[in-house]
Amino acid sequence: MAALVGRGVRDMLKRADFMTVPRRQRHKKKWAATEPKFPATRLALQNFDMTYSVQFGDLWPSIRVSLLSEQKYGALVNNFAAWDRVSAELEQLSARDFVNEAIFHGEPEPKNGQTAAPPPASWACSPNLRCFTFARGDVSRFPPARLGSLGVMDYYLMDAASLLPVLALGLQPGDTVLDLCAAPGGKTLALLQTGCCRNLAANDLSTSRAGRLQKVLHSYVPQDVRDRNRVRVTSWDGRKWGELEGDIYDRVLVDVPCTTDRHSLHEEENNIFKRSRKKERQMLPMLQMQLLAAGLLATKPGGHVVYSTCSLSHLQNEYVVQGTIELLANQYDIKVHVEDLTHFRKLFMDTFSFFPSCQVGELVIPNLMANFGPMYFCKMCRMT
Amino acid sequence: MAALGRQVLDGHRLIPLTWSLIARQTTRLGGQKRTTAFLLRKLTMVSSGGGLGESPSVEPQKYVQEPEHRTGLTQCLLEKQRTAVEREKVVSSLLDMGFSDVHVNELLSIQPGTHPQQLLDIISELILLGLNPEPVCVALKKSPQLLKLPVMHMKKRSSYLRKLGLGEGKLKRVLYSCPEIFTMRQRDIESIVGVLKEKCLFTVKQVTEILHRCPCVLREDPGELEYKFQYAYFRMGIKHVDVVKTDFLQYSMTKTKERHVFLERLGRYQTPDKKGQTLVPNPLLRDILRVSEAEFLAKTACSSAEEFGVFKELLAREEEESEGRMADAGSPEEAGP
Repeated sequence: MAALVGRGVRDMLKRADFMTVPRRQRHKKKWAATEPKFPATRLALQNFDMTYSVQFGDLWPSIRVSLLSEQKYGALVNNFAAWDRVSAELEQLSARDFVNEAIFHGEPEPKNGQTAAPPPASWACSPNLRCFTFARGDVSRFPPARLGSLGVMDYYLMDAASLLPVLALGLQPGDTVLDLCAAPGGKTLALLQTGCCRNLAANDLSTSRAGRLQKVLHSYVPQDVRDRNRVRVTSWDGRKWGELEGDIYDRVLVDVPCTTDRHSLHEEENNIFKRSRKKERQMLPMLQMQLLAAGLLATKPGGHVVYSTCSLSHLQNEYVVQGTIELLANQYDIKVHVEDLTHFRKLFMDTFSFFPSCQVGELVIPNLMANFGPMYFCKMCRMT
Repeated sequence: MAALGRQVLDGHRLIPLTWSLIARQTTRLGGQKRTTAFLLRKLTMVSSGGGLGESPSVEPQKYVQEPEHRTGLTQCLLEKQRTAVEREKVVSSLLDMGFSDVHVNELLSIQPGTHPQQLLDIISELILLGLNPEPVCVALKKSPQLLKLPVMHMKKRSSYLRKLGLGEGKLKRVLYSCPEIFTMRQRDIESIVGVLKEKCLFTVKQVTEILHRCPCVLREDPGELEYKFQYAYFRMGIKHVDVVKTDFLQYSMTKTKERHVFLERLGRYQTPDKKGQTLVPNPLLRDILRVSEAEFLAKTACSSAEEFGVFKELLAREEEESEGRMADAGSPEEAGP
């Protein structure tokens, strides 16, 4: 492990104009004899109490109790295994495919009175995604995924809200797709499940995390599908993509590094709220803007980008989107249009709890009845 | 004896209450001799602080001398008569102690097999501990097993309870909710008292107060009682005085944890720091534990019943799993990625 990190650092230093490699935790929980006195998880909670009580007001207590309690998962069915049998098994557990329910029951009335045809809005969602969840208020857990027929796993357990950015991206068959910050690979896997990718470029700065991404792909996607989709995994600096592969992609997903709010409240190891990582944390919005800008530059005119984080912070969400759009307009003379996801949100309102007052984009907030998220996502179209 | 009795009756100078009872007694039964003698003995006993339940009064011995000269039938009749006499004695004593006729009939029918003297002895101990007649009736009707206790045991236990400060009327509440206080083993009571005094460091007065107000602690496992106190003191920051005042120890650990952890995670309750301060004032304990669940949700937690319902399930699972982890705490952790 140390060797891998070392190599990564050396690779990074080869490229000239980087900021210094972030200092990783010197205190190794596994080796240390005592716990740190003021754990980073507590610092995270303090930070959230200060910012989010203001940002969310009366909603904050119910979000807080949900973040501190066990989260809810969704089971993303692997279309490259026996997906119909797996779906039936999951239904037996009393779970339901929320994607299917949203798309085919979300519309109140079909346009031309035909009940059989899928409603018009379905073209906006990426196709072929099947994800099961338990009903509102049901705290049952899924059994761990198993190796199925064809030598691949039957489903992938993830926060169901993580699927929304991929659904919102609206892949269409034959799209060239870029996943700029792909690890650990849940959303990348979902992109492949759509069956729409002519090319899929999956990138993550960290080599170790890119390694994990590879493992996920190997466990879920058969070799021939990976070849057919031309899946390419890299661990380059995402901020460079404008120069590396400008104006190429139809669909770009920019799922940026963030304060990983839920994770930061529970995991002490490598926690971004450690005092030693304070600078890094404060630089996050800037890093996020650089990554989103690169993603937009890599998109072909007329293409679409979805920006997403798993943080509740206004500074990492709307602020970054608005700032980047302005930056691109001023510095590059590129016009970017934010797409209204109101209709999309309405499709999924029964499964997820959405924050009603986002300026741009949508935010899934955790709630004990539906303990998914946090997940912020915003869809943009590059016009010029 | 009888002459003395009459003199005393004529005198009207002695303790009004007792003599009025005697007056009522004699008109009812008409057996002045026996009654008066017995009562006089009883009064002497009480004033000198001794207990009752010694050998029966003088009178029946006269009857004992005669049976061998009678036939079997007469013998039987005499036995019946003797029992009736004893019973009447007991009844008169009970009336004397302040029990009404209704009470007396109830008491005698709780466990018909009980020897009347046994009944009287047990009841006397309770009266001596400061209980009034009505509560004694209620308690015995509810817990007839008390009547089966050996009198010596009853006396010893009464003395121990007095030592704990549970005489003088404090016993009523304890007896109602925890009649086992008489039947349980001495060492079990001692272990609970021991936990409260030595482990939790309550004062003697506080221990009495706790036993008086939350008698159910006597039924708890000593280890769990200690844990409950530690949860209050360390986890919730509640001081000894407030643990006693709010009857904290009577609530189940599950209920306390559910409500407290819910509030804590909502951000509405904070464990006070070393100086006893919190960023926002914590809700009053009575608004957490004493109120109904509906009121707790509406007023203190400001949350919904369905959210609390889900939370309780999640918490129960967390507790179960953490207990499982502690059980195999010896095994080394897996190295993470």
